[in-house]
Parts: sequence; C-alpha cells; structure tokens
Amino acid sequence: MNAPQLDMAAIAPLAFAAFGALFVLLGEVWLTRRRTNEHFINAALSVLSISFLGLSVYCAGAAFSDGTTRVFDPANPMLSLDRFAAYSIALIGIASLLICFASISYLPQVGINHGEYYALLLLSTAGMFLLVGATDLMALFLGLELMSIPLYVMAGFDRRNLRSNESAFKYFLVGSFASAILLYGIALVYGVTGSLGFDAIRAGFPPGNPIGIVGLGLLVVGFAFKVASAPFHQWAPDVYEGAPTSVTAYMAITVKVAAFAALLRLLTQAFGPVTASLSDLFWVLAALTIVVGNVMAVIQTNLKRLLAYSSIAHAGYLLIGFATGTVEGYGAVLFYLLVYVFTNLGAFAVLMALAQGGRDCDTLDDLAGLARQRPGLAALLTLFALSLAGIPGTAGFVAKFFVFESAVASGQTVLAIIGVLGSVVSFYYYLRLPVQMYMSEAATETPRRHAATGELLVLAVCAVVVLFLGFFPSHAPGVLGAVRALEWARSSVAMLY
Amino acid sequence: MDLLDGRLLTIVTFLPLATGLVLLVLLRGLPERVWKIVALASTTLTFLLSLLLWFRYDATRPGHQFVEHVAWLPNWGIHYFVGIDGMSLLLVVLTTFLMPLVLLAAWNEQRKQARTFLFMNLFLETGMLGAFVSLNLFQFYVFWEVMLVPMYFIIGIWGGQRRVYAAVKFFLFTMVGSLLMLIAMIVLYGLHQEQFGAVSFDLVRVPGGGVPGLLETAVPLAGQAVWWKTQPWLFAAFALAFGIKVPMVPFHTWLPDAHVEAPTSGSVILAGVLLKMGTYGFVRFALPLFPIAAEQAAPLIFALALIGILYGALVAMVQTDIKKLVAYSSVAHLGFVMLGIFALNEEGLEGSILQMVNHGLSTGALFLLVGMVYERRHTRQISAFGGIAKPMPVFALLFGIVAMSSIGLPGLNGFVGEFLILAGAFVVNPWVGTAAAFGVVLAAAYLLWAYRRMFFGPVEEPENRALIDLDWRERFVILAVVVPIFWIGVNPNPFLRRLDASVSDLLHQMETRKAAALQTAPPVQAAVSALGVELAEGAVR
Repeated sequence: MNAPQLDMAAIAPLAFAAFGALFVLLGEVWLTRRRTNEHFINAALSVLSISFLGLSVYCAGAAFSDGTTRVFDPANPMLSLDRFAAYSIALIGIASLLICFASISYLPQVGINHGEYYALLLLSTAGMFLLVGATDLMALFLGLELMSIPLYVMAGFDRRNLRSNESAFKYFLVGSFASAILLYGIALVYGVTGSLGFDAIRAGFPPGNPIGIVGLGLLVVGFAFKVASAPFHQWAPDVYEGAPTSVTAYMAITVKVAAFAALLRLLTQAFGPVTASLSDLFWVLAALTIVVGNVMAVIQTNLKRLLAYSSIAHAGYLLIGFATGTVEGYGAVLFYLLVYVFTNLGAFAVLMALAQGGRDCDTLDDLAGLARQRPGLAALLTLFALSLAGIPGTAGFVAKFFVFESAVASGQTVLAIIGVLGSVVSFYYYLRLPVQMYMSEAATETPRRHAATGELLVLAVCAVVVLFLGFFPSHAPGVLGAVRALEWARSSVAMLY
Repeated sequence: MDLLDGRLLTIVTFLPLATGLVLLVLLRGLPERVWKIVALASTTLTFLLSLLLWFRYDATRPGHQFVEHVAWLPNWGIHYFVGIDGMSLLLVVLTTFLMPLVLLAAWNEQRKQARTFLFMNLFLETGMLGAFVSLNLFQFYVFWEVMLVPMYFIIGIWGGQRRVYAAVKFFLFTMVGSLLMLIAMIVLYGLHQEQFGAVSFDLVRVPGGGVPGLLETAVPLAGQAVWWKTQPWLFAAFALAFGIKVPMVPFHTWLPDAHVEAPTSGSVILAGVLLKMGTYGFVRFALPLFPIAAEQAAPLIFALALIGILYGALVAMVQTDIKKLVAYSSVAHLGFVMLGIFALNEEGLEGSILQMVNHGLSTGALFLLVGMVYERRHTRQISAFGGIAKPMPVFALLFGIVAMSSIGLPGLNGFVGEFLILAGAFVVNPWVGTAAAFGVVLAAAYLLWAYRRMFFGPVEEPENRALIDLDWRERFVILAVVVPIFWIGVNPNPFLRRLDASVSDLLHQMETRKAAALQTAPPVQAAVSALGVELAEGAVR
C-alpha cells in the first residue's frame, strides 16, 4: 500500500495557526514559572500569536498570488488551498492578528489577563481556516466546530461577570442547536447523493428531489444561525453584549467572514445549478435581516448591542449578494466582507481603547464628550461609523454600492430598494455616535487613558484601509496601483466556478 | 498661467479641502487668528480663480468647458469627469463668492473647536463645488452625499438649542431621497450597458471619446419595460432626491429647523448654495435624462411649486422669529425657481437659474444681517426690536436694500429673475402665472411688515437704544453682496449671456430625446394593441 501523496503546502496556514495555539499554551506554562510580571507574559504570548498568524497570512498571500489550487490529499480531496480560500484566510488571519494587537492592552484593562485567551483565539482561527478551505461536508463540519467551541469559552472569558457567563451559555446552546441543524442537513444531502465531497455532490445531486432541497435548506439555516441572519439572530445581541469587547469584535468579524465564505463555496461548488432555486429563500432572509437589524438597532442604548444589530443588518446586505446568485453578486459579497472586517474592527478597537479600570466602554453615554477629551479617537470612531453607514468617501459606501449594483443588474431591484431604505434607518443610529461624542457633554469627568501602541496601530491600519478603499477600491494611482481589491474579490469567486 | 490650464476646475474644487486638511493636521499649534486668516485667504483665492473661469468661459459655445477626464474605476465606467456650462458656472461662482464672506462674517464669533469649524466649512465648499462641476453621475453622487457630513456637524455642534434634532432631521430627510436616486442611477447605468454594450456613468460623451454618455440612453416609457426601468419611476426617484433638497412642499419640514438652528454661516450656505443643489439637479439631470416623464410631471410640480410659493409666504407672514421668517421665505422663493424650471421654456429656465443666484445673494445676505443683529441682542424675536433704524442707520439701510431685492423691486436682481420666471410660466399657463404673481405681493407684505416692526416706530426696549451700528468689517460683507444685487438688477446681460447657449442646448436636447423616445415607442405599443385586438376578437368568438 502506497503512502498517500500529501501536499503540505495546502495546510500551511492551518498548521501555523494550530501549532501556534499549542506553543502559546506551552509558552504560558514556561513563562509563568520564570516570571511573575503578568503584563510581560501577556505581551509575549500576544507577540507569539501574532507571529504565527503572520506566517499563516503570509502563506495565504503567497498562495493567492500564486493562484494555483493545492489539494491536501488529491486522492481524497477534503481540504484545498485555492485563491478563494487564500483570500478568506488572509482576511480572517489579518483580522485575528489585529485583534491580538489590540488585546495586549485591553485584557489587563478589564482584568482578564490569561494566556489561554490567545490559545483559544488561535484554535478558533484554525477552525475558520479549515472551514473556508473545506471541500467536503465532513471537513466543513469539523471546521465549524473547531471554530465555535473555543468561541464558547472566549465568550465567557470574563468569568466573574454574570453577563459574560450568560453570554457563553447562550452562545453554546444556540450554537449547538445550529450545528445539529447543519448536521441534519448534511445527513439528508448525504442520503440523496451518497457522498460528502463537494464535487461528488454536484455530480450526483438529483434535480427536483425534495429531500435534497430540504437538506440544502437546512444547511443554509445552519449557516444563517452562525451569521446571525433574521429570524435566527436573537442570540447575537445578548452574546455580543456579555462577552468582553475584544471577543465580541472577534465573533462579530471573523466568524461572519468564515461562515459567509464557507457558505459561498458550498453553494457554488457543491450545489451550483441547484442554488438558483434558493434565490427566493435568500431574498426573504436578506429583506428580513435588513429590516430587523436596522429597526432594532435604533432603540439600543448599549453600544455592543447596537453594533450587534448593526452587524445583523450588514449580514442582510451580504445576503443580497447571495440572492442575486451571480458571480458579480458573490464578488460584491467578498469585497463587502473585506470592508466589513476593517470598518468593524476599527469601531471595536476604539471601544477597546476606551475600556479602563476593569470596565468596558459599552453604553452610548460612555462616549459623551469624547471629542473634547480624546479628539483623535472621536474622529476615528466617526469615520468608522460613517463607513458602517455607507457614506461616500469611505469603504462602506463602495461595498454597498457594488452589492446594490449587482442586485439591480440581476433584476433584484426591489431588494436593493429595501436595502437602501434600511440604510436610511441605519444613518439614524450611526449618527448617534457622533452626536454623543461631539454634541453632548460628559456627565462626570473621569480622565480617559491614552490609547496604547497596539491599539493605535490597529486604528491606523483600519482608518487607512477604510479611506483608501473608499476612494480606490481598484485602480489606485502610483505605487499603490497593485492594490486592486475589487478584482481580487471577483477573481477569487470566479475560480470557484 | 500654464499651470492652471486644463486643471483649473480641479484646483478650484479641491483648494478649500486641501487648505482644510493643512489646517487640521499641520497648523495645530498656531493661534486661532492664523487659522482664520489661512481659511479666508484660501477661500478668497478660490473665488479669484473662479473669476478666471468666469472670464475665460466662452459663452457662445454650448456644451461643457474646462473639461477634465481621468479614469477612476474604468471597469465600471466611473471616471473623474468635470466640466462646466453656463448653468454650473453661475452656481460655482456664487459658491466661491459666498464662502469668504461667510468666514469674514464669523470673524469675531467665539466658538469651541474653532479649527474644526473652519475645516468643516472648507470641506463643505469642496463638496458643493464638486457637485456642481461633476459630469459623472457616480462622482456627482459622492459629492452630493459627502457634503451632508460637514453640514451635519456645522448644525449639530455649533447650532442653537435644538441643534441635534435639526441636524439629524436634515441628514435623514436628504438621505431618503438620495439613496433611492442611487438605485435609479444604477438602473440607468444598466440600461445604458444594455443598449451600448459599454459601461459608463458619464453624463455626456467625453470630447473626442468613444463611449456614449448616459444622456444618449433611451429610457423606456411606462409599459415598455419592468416598472423600475421606466421613465416615470426613474424620474420620481431623481425628483424625490432633488425635491427634498429644494425643498418642495411637502418635503420642506426639515428646512425651518435646519435654518433656524444652524449658526449664521451654516444658514447662509444652506440657503445660498445647498438648496440650489436640488434645483440644479433637476436642470442638470432629471430634465434631460427623462424628458417625457418630466413633461408629464410638470402639472404636479407646478401645483406643488404654487403651494410652496403661497404657503411659504403665508407662513412667513405669521412668524415671530425673524430667522424663521427668512427660512420660510426660502420655501416661497424656491417655489418660483421650480415654477420657472418646469415651464420648460427658455425664459423660465434662464429666469430660474438667475433666480437661484439671486436667492443665494439676497437670502444669504438676509441671514448674515439677522446674524449680526442676533450677535448684539441675542434674540431674534421681531417684537423685541422696534425703532432700531435710529441707533443703527447703516444696518437699516442695508437691510432695506436686501429686503427689496428679496421682494423683487425693479432695478434690483430679484426682479429680473422673477420677471423671467413669470413670463415663462404665463406662456405655459396664465392662471399659474397669475397665482404666482400674487406670491410676489405676499413677499412684499411679509418682508415690509417685518421691516416696519423692526426698524420704525419708537425705540421701546432700553437695550435697543444702546445698539451699535455695523462696523467696517460687517459693512464690507454686506456691501460685497449689495454690489451684485444692483449689478444684476441693472445689467443682467453678462449673466444671461452665459446662460443662453446652455439653456437652449438643454431644451434642444430634451426635444431630440423626446422625439427619439416616442419614435421607438410605436412598435411596442402597436404590438400591445394588436395583441389586445386579438384577445378582444377571441372573446367575441
């Protein structure tokens, strides 16, 4: 019997993240024995995680520019590293890496300075890498669970805080429920096709078979839970509110990217032509999610809940792309995810930079008078709010524009109109941030701390990307001419077909 | 001057923003006075450069001049495409003219975050100029929305008591229309792509370029395509966006709030330039793109414009707050402008565009004057004044001239514009013309009445006795506006001459597009009616 020909390069990003997690765990034990300075341990572990994630991102970047598809085990294809996977991995990797940077000073500020944090984050990231590269339903499920289980723990990371515990428990229950639905869907699909590999499913899917369609529907519902699309969104605000801000950021950003990317691959590679029959389902999901997310966000006073509903609304805009079912639509989704990562990360990073003395900055009132005390942070949060709202000149506008453009081009104009009306509502609640920061005075004058280097770095990166992509999503002038984010997104999707 | 050739418009547009960024980033440590001087110098330079546009503009040539075309996102037909014709020229010069005056008028005001305030004003100027010079729909949209942001902050941070409410209302109202317009733009872009097989958001063909502009797209009439691809709906989306901005009744409710709560400079820019964005949008985009729908909608718009004229004037009459009175008078004046535009003839259109400038000058000056007296008395209640012509004779005189201009006294600018508009409206519908002329009478009534209550009679309040008349800075600001008020009133030709070619070009364009659209119509209609006959026959059998 021959040894299988394995292509190790295909799992390089995954391997770096997973090994990174183990190293962090070992490193913590080793460091705690030697040194008692908590801050040093925290910083060292963070730097260790960042280096491993950096290696993952580097591998993904190399694979992306290389453009060839590498399959881990060609004889039994379950996991591949192609342009699409590389794009998603790079995105998730960069987001996780930046969150590690911001966590260096955030964790001590709220008093949850434990080394396991980075190990869990790396493990979950590894799960996402597996999820977006999976070309087999089993690998997909493994990735999903590897992503989710560390997240349950992270949500409850502030273990003395009742809300954090509630958050973890709720997330665990709903997450398990979603996994079960997904598994049921996988079982049904396996039942009608007799296979789990995407290519085999595509070849063997009997058109018009109701059981198969139900299976596909259940798969979509499972993912709808993960991305918090209405009507499967109720868990998100509670979970986002209770978890520490850095974990909320991580959940809101990377999970969404990973789940949407995996769903995109599943729909195009495994179900291809059958996907068209789901157009109406996505239409309803998108419309409902946009309406629910935006309307509910209006009445929130807690910043994290507000951002949770805002992220639900964004899931709605992303689902518009799925409702179109065209390459342009999916390309717009992938570009939207890129913009979503940096805009949201920026907004959350400002909140993290405002946490101090064991307390999160999580209500709108906490922002009052910020423009006078920390004008820089106020200006940045305004920028990110405007980008989330989709004001021209920011990346958020370009992302929305291309989603709506693809919707109109495929005849889904009504959905696009629902989308823009939802955006109008969203302006109301995004504008409340600058209103608080610039137009209200703080009730009590607690001096605010200065943002730490890691946080400043994250903020600078996000602000630059948001502005740059706002003006030059592609065809940038001069030395930056090689940055063609729109084309990258589109070519990543095109290769799935 | 070679440096300016070929990029004059870009320099005019972006000079204010560039100065603003320098102010924000580099000049942080300097004293407030220096910031003000830098901002004033930059806006003045912008004005001088725009005068260069004014004199170099060739009025005999229709079409766009000073054109610049640079690829931005060529794969989607999105370009940086600027150019001006007579209509945009007038509004560009109006904008650059008002801006330094606004900054000068606010010279002595003490405010928090002075640097941010100046930055927002400069940012706003670039936004407005950019919208006026854009010839690419996408680019226009970017400027159109971007300028909301500085205005939002100007009202929200430096405004009056209910500033937050007013700012948010202003923002949301404008957004509802704009976003629907965005969808309509995308639909139009799709139609263009279907017809020509090439992508473009450019309004017109680039001089010497190949891809046809959006203006050459045939937009289906009602019943010829899916509803959202037809002229009435697309026109409605554009008209909603522009109509809210104008503002036309019933979308005007944001205006009194925003004008009253805004600081003086904000009110001046809002009334002077921002409202024109709406009327300009009608002329530049909505009319030539959807000529048939525009013609069909004309009666409705006439009605709304008339309601605006009469309602605005009547509501202005009962105001006790002088700033609110001026705000409502804007509703009435813009009603006139809309009336002239939808007369769809040369007199009406030229009068409307001239009236946009006139309204910018006279209402802008009125807001400046109100601001000056508010600074002294900290009230805007008309009843709090009375007899202040005695302590402030110069103020009374200037206020009188500007009020007369706003009323439309012959010899001043307002008369020329209103006369042309009424002449245009009479041709179309004498009844509408008559009713609108009644609006002029009402304007005289509310302004003169308010003038009498404020300036004449005995000085009753002791505070009014001690009022100090305008100083030289303030006199200069108002006189600067009074000069063009007289100039346009006595000799409107330099202004009208620059409009002639552009306006007749616009009307010609509408005619040809209308003819083309109607020509393509018969086959479809014939097919439909043939089908109808067949069905009817079938039913008979």
